[in-house]
Amino acid sequence: MSSVPVPTRRQVLALYKQFIKNSNQFNNYNFRQYFLRKSRSTFKESADLKDTVQVTNMFNEAKKELGILKRQAVISQMYTFDKTVVEPTLKLNHTQ
Amino acid sequence: MFRSLLRANVARSAMISQGPVRFYSPSNLSKTAISSRVIDVIKSFNKTDASSSNPTEITMESSFKKDLGLDSLDTVELIVAMEEEFSIEIPDKVADELTSVAQTVDYIKDHTDAS
Repeated sequence: MSSVPVPTRRQVLALYKQFIKNSNQFNNYNFRQYFLRKSRSTFKESADLKDTVQVTNMFNEAKKELGILKRQAVISQMYTFDKTVVEPTLKLNHTQ
Repeated sequence: MFRSLLRANVARSAMISQGPVRFYSPSNLSKTAISSRVIDVIKSFNKTDASSSNPTEITMESSFKKDLGLDSLDTVELIVAMEEEFSIEIPDKVADELTSVAQTVDYIKDHTDAS
């Protein structure tokens, strides 16, 4: 197991940044907010992990999930969704 | 007919001899403009102490961690918000070292072509 390098703090934060950036790509408000919340809670939960094996496992797991997130974000942009009421509809407000 | 082409060629060779030339305009945002926008981004970021019921004043000296009560994950989110606001890319190496409002403003002013 020792052959696998343990991810550094910077690597983990960089991965988190990728999660946030890709979550922001979602067109649909509900999906976008869900993935932002989900990324945050998952990273926060494992913030206290000390065991190097566990940290490495979580890191690799998260990398796989980032792949899924990226694909889904792209797919979500191929479809249009109606805006939910909580989203600001700036254009409408300006014209009326 | 080919005169303009010729001229372009001459111009190009002159350019090469002078070394690399920048054709994009440098960022013309003033420091005050950048700082007010940075502070606005922080204000609208709803996890800071400044957005709580008893808000802390955001100043240039405010530290993300100490004064605004952000943890490392919050800071990453804030940096992403800054990147979106100024349409820039802040490398991870730099982002790791940005810990206060003033540092962020200075970085945006000096190292990026923010818009």
